[in-house]
Amino acid sequence: MEQESEWEPKLLGFLCRWCSYAGADLAGTSRKKYPANIKIIKVPCSGRVDPLFILKALRMGYDGVLVSGCHPGDCHYQTGNYRARRRIVITKKFLEYMGVDPRRFQASWVSASEGVKFTEVATEVTKELSEIGANQLFVDGK
Amino acid sequence: MATSSKINKGDLGELLKKWSEEFTVFVPQQEDGKAILAQWDGTDTSFLEGYRNTVKPSKANFFPPMEEMFRFQKDSEGHHIEPTVSDKHKQLIFGIRPCDAKSLAILDMTFKDLYEDPYYLPKRNNTILVGLGCLRPYDSCFCTSLGINPAESTDVDVMLTDIGDQFLVEPISEAGKELVAKASQLEKATKADEAKAKEVKEASYQKVTRKIDTGGIKDKLLASFNNQDFWESIAAKCISCGICTFACPTCYCFDINDELVKKQGARFRSWDSCAFPIYTKMPMENPRVEKWRRVRQKVCHKFEFYPMNFDTIACTGCGRCIRFCLVNWDITQTLDKLPV
Amino acid sequence: MEQKLRDGAKTLLEEGKVDYIIGFEPGSLKFTTTPLITKNKDDVDRLVINPFIKNNLSVFLTELKGRVGIVAKGCDSRSIVSLIQDKQVARENIVIMGIPCPGIIDLKKVELLLGRDRDEVDDITRDGDKVVITVEGKKTEFPTTKLLFDNCLSCESPTPQEYDVLLDETSPLVTDSAASREKIKTLEAMPQEQRWEFWKEKFDHCIRCYACRNVCPACFCKRCFVEESQPQWVLPVPRWQDNLIFQVIRNIHVAGRCTDCGECERVCPVNIPLRSLTKRMYEIVDELFQYKSGMDKEAPPLMSHYEQEEAEGLIR
Repeated sequence: MEQESEWEPKLLGFLCRWCSYAGADLAGTSRKKYPANIKIIKVPCSGRVDPLFILKALRMGYDGVLVSGCHPGDCHYQTGNYRARRRIVITKKFLEYMGVDPRRFQASWVSASEGVKFTEVATEVTKELSEIGANQLFVDGK
Repeated sequence: MATSSKINKGDLGELLKKWSEEFTVFVPQQEDGKAILAQWDGTDTSFLEGYRNTVKPSKANFFPPMEEMFRFQKDSEGHHIEPTVSDKHKQLIFGIRPCDAKSLAILDMTFKDLYEDPYYLPKRNNTILVGLGCLRPYDSCFCTSLGINPAESTDVDVMLTDIGDQFLVEPISEAGKELVAKASQLEKATKADEAKAKEVKEASYQKVTRKIDTGGIKDKLLASFNNQDFWESIAAKCISCGICTFACPTCYCFDINDELVKKQGARFRSWDSCAFPIYTKMPMENPRVEKWRRVRQKVCHKFEFYPMNFDTIACTGCGRCIRFCLVNWDITQTLDKLPV
Repeated sequence: MEQKLRDGAKTLLEEGKVDYIIGFEPGSLKFTTTPLITKNKDDVDRLVINPFIKNNLSVFLTELKGRVGIVAKGCDSRSIVSLIQDKQVARENIVIMGIPCPGIIDLKKVELLLGRDRDEVDDITRDGDKVVITVEGKKTEFPTTKLLFDNCLSCESPTPQEYDVLLDETSPLVTDSAASREKIKTLEAMPQEQRWEFWKEKFDHCIRCYACRNVCPACFCKRCFVEESQPQWVLPVPRWQDNLIFQVIRNIHVAGRCTDCGECERVCPVNIPLRSLTKRMYEIVDELFQYKSGMDKEAPPLMSHYEQEEAEGLIR
């Protein structure tokens, strides 16, 4: 049977190694389903994420970016996610001002035991991205 | 053999339309009070009001800020390289000033020296320059000190001079003569017209008040080369931003970068600047880490090294570096202060 | 005021309290001043104070080695405070000669209003809330607010926040905050796609001269992210995509350190309205964290501080 090539959103996820990545792993071992649109990059801490990564991902054609880390107060490195929070929030607001749909860059706090939450986040974000449509932000010649 | 003709200013639109049939015509369009060389929109000739000189130098039409050199890809059959084909369409640049026209002649020396640049030269050979003499040189202009007359040029194909309600049209090169011969909107110029043009040219020459003394400048610079104190004081306020080199019509340094995405990509060249701290950075060392060395090299390149290689000062006195510099660093002041 | 400055600067050099003096001297073009950086006490007689002292001199602080006596307007002193917060400059190594600033005249606005270039203007004199401009002998008056730089119009600290010497009494500054953020207001009213298209078009003109970055006191990184080639985040090639990314990231990187001095917009050779980005970032930082850059030298820098609870509504 031939597969219809329908556009599927591409989501890039930066997951912190101690909480969110473990949470995603738990979702897997618990056989919880979530859309395969997300590609995950493991970072040691959400504080590792430079806004540059987000812009670069959008530039490369990803339809959305998700940054996920430990809950505030639970960071393995004590303060990494606090720093990430400040950066994420100003990046979100600034990109929205520039004209990027705010749903393209999202963030979440997912702990190592929240496998279910991770599946919910991944599903919701993917759904929102399918609603917005493909990322044409950096496409030439319009 | 009177070869000059004239054209009514009102008929300029017609002439440009005629030329547009054969060439892509570029004119200095007004945008927010600044002139930018852009393709003529086909009707409006009001761009001449208030036109003094363009923001980006005319080198941008031949040596653009960003240029694709070739594309490459790898597939099952091996590696393929596809050279970028340059636009074969002929260009006509209308309203170029004598300083910018001279700058192209200076750039030619580099791009033809030993290796003929395959990106710059085809564009250059495909372009006709229609010059327009300055009536209102800036106070930052100093072309006259470099042997350039703001209202006359031998580096253009046709030269226009504003004589009131009309332009005097003088063909300079063979291509210029051909161009003029084909234009029906021109009429023969009278002796009075030519005299008026001569007056206008003299007046423009006098209006350039900024001067530098280029006598023995090569030797003065050679003598002060190791004078670190002097160069440090000169370079103190520079912030190494590179605007002067980007705005300069005779600067030609470029960087080459490859961009690769999966198995295909392209090679680009783009404007680079000797003012950038990493310009001379190499794996082992950076000979121009200190700012004063970079400033010294910029001045010496233009007034000492280029004359050593090509017998020409690589500066046309257009004054853009002075106008654009964020801290008002002024090359004329630097040359003035050179220890004798 | 000028004489007080010159005497003060000379004394500082003579008494060996500083190694350098940074101030303004007359430039080589009309209505222009240029930075004067000198160790020589005789040069100090050239220092001036006038409505055209537009440069933010704190940009030189991170490269000069030694103690510096610096002339600072209100906005400049905030940049200095920001540098002190970031530990790029030690407070004891600088002597700040503060100038309460009544606003700086934007020559671009003058040129647009008159339809003339600055070298064809005879004289520009400020007289309180009016500016008298003489062209070919004829005088015209303009309200000062029409000619000041946009960032002057929303200045929150005309008197320097931090100073060692104050060169004059605090002077009144006529502000027009609405006018200062007019361009931003227009952008915010545009629908999303139109805003992106607007910036796309603007950044098409960018030639990556890095004037905006080099003139910014907050951009003091020894190696900027655009100069990285391993990995290569943005190519040096001036494509609008890379130009846009450069500017967006630059703004995010200087968030909390940008004091809206307006230099980036002033120096851009292709007139990209950069303040519409920097001022908006300044506002975002204020809205989210109630933080205004450069006001308090004891405060921790914005991005290295955090509160237990803040900005939660934006994260799942």
